[in-house]
Amino acid sequence: MDSGIWVALIVTAVGTFLMRSLPMVWMQRHLVRRKAKNTMDAMPIWLGVLGPLMIAAMFGVSLVPAKASLASWTATALGVLVTLIVARRTGSLGWPIVAGVATYGGVILLANTAF
Amino acid sequence: MSQQASVPNSRPWLLGVRESIPLLGGYIPVAISFGLIAVQSGFTAWEAVAISVLIYAGASQFLFVAMVAAGAPLWFVVVMTLLINARHVVYGPNLVPWLTTSRWWPWLMHGLTDQIFALAHTRLPQLPPEDRLGWFFGGSLLAWFSWIGGTALGAVAGKELTQQWPLLGEVMPFALPALFLVLLAPRFSSWVWSMALGSTVVVALLFTLNGMSNAAIPVAAIAGAIVFFGMNALK
Repeated sequence: MDSGIWVALIVTAVGTFLMRSLPMVWMQRHLVRRKAKNTMDAMPIWLGVLGPLMIAAMFGVSLVPAKASLASWTATALGVLVTLIVARRTGSLGWPIVAGVATYGGVILLANTAF
Repeated sequence: MSQQASVPNSRPWLLGVRESIPLLGGYIPVAISFGLIAVQSGFTAWEAVAISVLIYAGASQFLFVAMVAAGAPLWFVVVMTLLINARHVVYGPNLVPWLTTSRWWPWLMHGLTDQIFALAHTRLPQLPPEDRLGWFFGGSLLAWFSWIGGTALGAVAGKELTQQWPLLGEVMPFALPALFLVLLAPRFSSWVWSMALGSTVVVALLFTLNGMSNAAIPVAAIAGAIVFFGMNALK
């Protein structure tokens, strides 16, 4: 990498860090200025709504398999179903993910063996 | 890996490490792909690792490498990469109600990726305040190290790895939608929230299927917000 690319890399890295960090600092100061006792109530409503929606959007994006095929979509649907069932039964964070990935992998393996 | 932990933990950083383990299923295969592509695009292994250490944002790193390799003007590379990362501006403020007064928080925000935000947004409110900094430190550090390690592995032996275990790279990334689903499921708590979240997922899915995955997250979230506020206004 020549020096120009290094500069581009550093600027991108600093810019990304500031986008992650500065809005948090600004919001903390905003809450201090308003002397908010209940920080949730002092937050703008739209911001509180946007948080869960961003997670839902990430879920939608990550659902699309890298290699789209009948097998990968079937594996995705079954993986989602098993993840939900195990999450409901166990109430844990890790086991539903293990079960979902195992189901997804099982279906892909089965499809690769059968076809 | 219980989701309830209201009693202070003796080693909260370890709890953070444990709870971010599912992220590795998504991070390592993608980081290996990034390392491999970076080397194939003419970067050295050390340069690929430096990109992962400093930028630490999946999609934008792929774009950075592809645009530099294609000879795009560097100012344009920076602008495009930052545009993709612009969605991060809403993550930090969303966590503020659960952050303590420690001066470490702004620096720890380097580790605030999509996935760490999703995890922290659910877990921080459930943890006692004194455990939150340690939990975030442990969880985000494991995720960062796995991204750096995966990049190094991909840059050095990515070709051999993807040839030897092609299935692993295909299956492990399912850990990410599974994680998001577990974090999201309890939020389908009312008719309005269910409609808003459901429409967000559908819009994100449609955008990604049409090759617009970078725009999908902000556009889908805004669409969901319109549904949320629209339905509340109609009540």
